[in-house]
Amino acid sequence: MSTSVKERATSAEFAAPSLGSRLKGMLFNQQTVLFLVLLALVVYFGARNSLFFSQNEFANLITDFCGLVLLAIAETYVIISGGIDLAVGSTGAIASVITAGWLNTFQTHHMNNAELLLLGTLFCAVIGAIAGAVSAVLITKFNLVPFVATLVTYSAGAGLALVISNGAPVGYNPAATIWSSSGVFVFSWLSIIIIAIAVILGLVLHLTSYGRYNFAIGSNEFAARAAGINVKRHVASVYVIAGVLAGLTGMFFYIRSGSAAATTGVTNSANLEAIAAVVIGGASLTGGVGRWAGTFLGCAVLTVVTDGLIFINVPPTWNQVIVAALIAVATVLQVVRPGKRRTS
Amino acid sequence: MSETQPVFELRNINKSYGSVQALTDVSFKAYAGEVIGLVGDNGAGKSSLIKTISGVHTQDSGQLFVDGVERHWKSPHDSMAAGIETLYQDSSLAPDLTIGSNVFLGREKKRKGLLGKLGFLDQKSMEKEALAELEKVGISVPAGRRTVTELSGGQRQAVAIGRAISWAKHVIILDEPTNHLGARQSAEVLKVIKAAKEQGLCVLFISHTLPHVLEVTDRIIVLRLGKIVRDSPTSEYTVESLLGTITGLSEMSK
Repeated sequence: MSTSVKERATSAEFAAPSLGSRLKGMLFNQQTVLFLVLLALVVYFGARNSLFFSQNEFANLITDFCGLVLLAIAETYVIISGGIDLAVGSTGAIASVITAGWLNTFQTHHMNNAELLLLGTLFCAVIGAIAGAVSAVLITKFNLVPFVATLVTYSAGAGLALVISNGAPVGYNPAATIWSSSGVFVFSWLSIIIIAIAVILGLVLHLTSYGRYNFAIGSNEFAARAAGINVKRHVASVYVIAGVLAGLTGMFFYIRSGSAAATTGVTNSANLEAIAAVVIGGASLTGGVGRWAGTFLGCAVLTVVTDGLIFINVPPTWNQVIVAALIAVATVLQVVRPGKRRTS
Repeated sequence: MSETQPVFELRNINKSYGSVQALTDVSFKAYAGEVIGLVGDNGAGKSSLIKTISGVHTQDSGQLFVDGVERHWKSPHDSMAAGIETLYQDSSLAPDLTIGSNVFLGREKKRKGLLGKLGFLDQKSMEKEALAELEKVGISVPAGRRTVTELSGGQRQAVAIGRAISWAKHVIILDEPTNHLGARQSAEVLKVIKAAKEQGLCVLFISHTLPHVLEVTDRIIVLRLGKIVRDSPTSEYTVESLLGTITGLSEMSK
């Protein structure tokens, strides 16, 4: 009797995919495509203007990449869990503006530069965590949809950052930039730390139970709850982590420029850039689908496009139009590729 | 059979929601290797009953025994820990995760050593063990990571039941497992239920599809308006008599 059951189940439906469809799957794999696109862009910009291949420009690219990658990875976690975070940009702005002001007052208290910067990093992380916690409470306690909840946090953060800074740079401290000017090869110590954090977050997302629950909740919240996962606690933690990463990005911009401002550095529209990187990287806004490597490459593509346009004398105002085209192509590719992972 | 210890027993369970009496003095015993059909019209108390058994809510009065020991559930976690798995209507899998990840969802195997303590998963052995567990109940899936999205409706349900069976020690509760499935796919699910029975599990099968209930169960409990109106071996029912008992028409004609 048990053999007949087995025979039935092993029938054609469970057959492995053919070699052809596997090859197709690999070719259409979002990461592979993105990598090829990135390569093509770099070659194109370099061919048009050889300065694009200079060590200086490479250092610039790394720095710009680092200003985006933590926000985008934060957004990746949130989007895979089935939510959206509109507040990462403004959280970075408010964290850096408040911290820069505080550090200015601490400067007179006999603290050396390294102590100041470490303290600033802590401040930024805590302010980011508080902003993330506001979103988390609105979502998990008051059952607001993530879009609305983080719209609240976004507006509050963006507004407060402007009020506190009066629209001008805050806490000018030229010594702060020392961390972004020394390092190894073209990598500053600051970017090495940022990239290390990004890599660790990738490992956590794809190899640990925390990351697994993130996918499970975004894929089917009910199933996750039925499996004994504390969904509310996990979702809350994702927004707090996103806030911390936004705060750290705020500190990154403070160290990079030696001051903080609500209108430059981490701007309020950084959230859209982060979401663009995630979408280009192949994550689905319906949740449950996404890869860290996709987001990482998505950030690289966005950075290269933004910088490269300047090198081929296209006015930077065209940047957003090019990004729009990239998003359109990336999402269309997701829909048409074989073995698409759409859940209805 | 009556001499052996029931794997699961309810005694005089009552449950009301406000002024609505959902369950009235519900009592029955269930034994290992037994497939019990639980049928009734909408509002007969089926959902209330399985929610009580699985710990989603607690009864107002009455006792619940697992393996002869009285238990009180504070959450679904408690009943799961006691070896009772519940499969809710077609929504127990995360479609974007692999089959292995789904089978181990919420109970992931960690790697050995420091990495395991940090939460790193032993994905390889989970995938392997998941396939072996599914094989045990006659669900054969090819090796390699496949997401549930790539499976048909019947296969998904088979995997979901296979998952429940692999974790259940005593009882699995299946709420409408053949809902929305075609005839051939339903047949696959029914065979998995029979495999669960062969493994010595007690299966509580809730369904509106009476031919399925008659095909796969050993005993059928009929609920009407929160009360058990009949509890007899399946052989004593026909589709007509079962339908009559569910609706109450057979009593009126007496």
